[in-house]
Amino acid sequence: MNENDKQSKIDPVCGMDLTEYADIAPISHKEKEFYFCGKGCEDRFKKDPEKFQKEPLIKLNNVWKIFKLGETETKVLRGLNLHIWEGDFVAVIGPSGSGKSTALNMMGLLDRPTSGHIFLNGEDVSLLNDDKRAKLRSETFGFVFQQYNLIPWLTAYENATLPLIFSGKKIETEKLDARFQEIGLKERLTHRPFELSGGEQQRAALLRALANDPEIILGDEPTGNLDSATGNRILEMLINLKKTNKKTLVIVTHDADIAEKADQIIAFKDGCLARDHQTHKKAYTK
Amino acid sequence: MLKNFLILTLKGIRYRPIRGWLTILGIVIGIMLVVIILALSSGIRTTITRTLQVFGSDLIIIFPGKETNPIVGLLGGQKFKEKDLLDLERINGVKFVAPMDIGTLNVEYNGEKKSIMVHAANWKRYVEVMESSQGIKLEKGRWPENDEVSEAVFGYLTAKTLFKKEVSAGDEVIIKSKRFRVVGIFSEIGEQMLDNVIFISSDIFHALTDSRGVSSAAVKVAPGADMNLIAKQLKFQLSKQEVVRDFSILTPDKADRLVGNILSIIELVLVVVAVISLVVGAVGIMNTMYTSVLERTKQIGVMKAIGASNDAILSLFLIESGMIGLVGGILGIVFGILSAYLISLAAAGFGIRGLFSFASLDFFGLFVVLFLTFIIGIISGVLPARQASLMEPAEALRYE
Repeated sequence: MNENDKQSKIDPVCGMDLTEYADIAPISHKEKEFYFCGKGCEDRFKKDPEKFQKEPLIKLNNVWKIFKLGETETKVLRGLNLHIWEGDFVAVIGPSGSGKSTALNMMGLLDRPTSGHIFLNGEDVSLLNDDKRAKLRSETFGFVFQQYNLIPWLTAYENATLPLIFSGKKIETEKLDARFQEIGLKERLTHRPFELSGGEQQRAALLRALANDPEIILGDEPTGNLDSATGNRILEMLINLKKTNKKTLVIVTHDADIAEKADQIIAFKDGCLARDHQTHKKAYTK
Repeated sequence: MLKNFLILTLKGIRYRPIRGWLTILGIVIGIMLVVIILALSSGIRTTITRTLQVFGSDLIIIFPGKETNPIVGLLGGQKFKEKDLLDLERINGVKFVAPMDIGTLNVEYNGEKKSIMVHAANWKRYVEVMESSQGIKLEKGRWPENDEVSEAVFGYLTAKTLFKKEVSAGDEVIIKSKRFRVVGIFSEIGEQMLDNVIFISSDIFHALTDSRGVSSAAVKVAPGADMNLIAKQLKFQLSKQEVVRDFSILTPDKADRLVGNILSIIELVLVVVAVISLVVGAVGIMNTMYTSVLERTKQIGVMKAIGASNDAILSLFLIESGMIGLVGGILGIVFGILSAYLISLAAAGFGIRGLFSFASLDFFGLFVVLFLTFIIGIISGVLPARQASLMEPAEALRYE
């Protein structure tokens, strides 16, 4: 924890900047003072104070994103501060337009902030060039989208192996076959996306996200287009992955089930975090 | 890596086959023209050279009118006095002069009437011109005995195709109003004009047509004589006569140059047309690639999200445009060769043979054409592919 963080009252767990909240009283721990956005973060901190004083896996520091459309400016992210901890299952909730997806894109290096910095394992990645960002996306991140976003002219199998082509890695057929078997898509290898159901497409997309064995899986409402039963299956697969392979999972969601199972809930409001994340669960999930 | 990219691209093109093929068609047309020019130009040159051989390397041809248009001059009706032409034999180096006349007459055979070009000449002189200078031989029969007998020699195609029934040596025909015996048939020359004629003696021709004078002459030059000097002297001598003011003297060199010029102009026009159609084809590829980038914006975003670098996206689109060019080139070459073959078949139907042969195809030229189309494809793809590669993934993903 550095000097600057202490002055600006950063919640060590979620990373929220609490400087402007005068009503928050500091809590002392081993002669240091800490500020928390709410009870959830405070409780997590108390369980493992040492961990939360280290460098988080992903850190967003005063990130602004302003979209310009002609004369109008839309400030989607307004000085966002956020921490993601390694091995966490994080559910990102909040009303539409509060900047959840944009923040996810920032974490996954799909977008560049207008200003501010993004740190991955303590390294500032917001200033990297396109090639280095592409390499990081390929090696470190796996994306799952609400619209599945499979390439329509490729089969399920080809879609799932596409990241390997871009990363130049060898396609391990046996390992992939086993994964398809495991995920229940063995019979659908040569089908193209339009021949697959939504759930099947999303499972193929999940395999694609895992192709390069990434450390972090980012999902933008991955179950949003699926019925609840199918959505739950996908969710279980994700949670299993997280448990067995120690992946970090960040999922933007409106799904109460997902929020329920998460290690950490992060609530957004107007391009920043909202205090006391847990309490927003009811308002922003179904 | 490259193989995988190729497969990826192929699948992408196959997903939108109609657009792909239409773009390819745009290139095919340009390449077809280039290949037709390549395939036929050598054939055309050989054919023309063969025609020139008929002029003979030791012959100077004199005819009325401009040298660029001998047909108009010959049929224009202006005629030299035979004596003026025969007087040219006095020039040093001239072996002899064979005056010749030409006219379209009605010929009747087996009850069928046709009108055809009849050449008239003094047999003794002309047989020598044909046999020793032009390499024209009789296929059947013999030459007429003298200029007084009513005997005719038929061109190869005249005998074969003019009448329903093939004319053979020994048959009788009526030319204008006089009965002739066909005593000989020429072997094939391979030149339209000379294969479709009838030769008779000039004395009889003049009696039949009631005309005086001759329309042209072949001047046979002695071996080793200076062609250009003799041509100058011929011109000086002939300019003294008053009958034909405007005449041409065609030496083999000059004829060669003349034909070469005409051929160059034809080739130039074809090349310009081909280049224009290639440019149009290239613009077509560029247009398709821009549309393709726009259409696949979302997929570009997805591919970048799962780790594709800018270079990878650039390569994918460049390979695609290069392949469109290459396939267009291959098809253009195939259809071009096919067209050249069909054109040569059609030309052979008109008596012009040997315009095209598979054996004389310029394979290096074709390879260059193929490489060129690949490059055209890639160059046309550079701007759209660059646009695709520089997209911010999040922005591309938002595109619907």
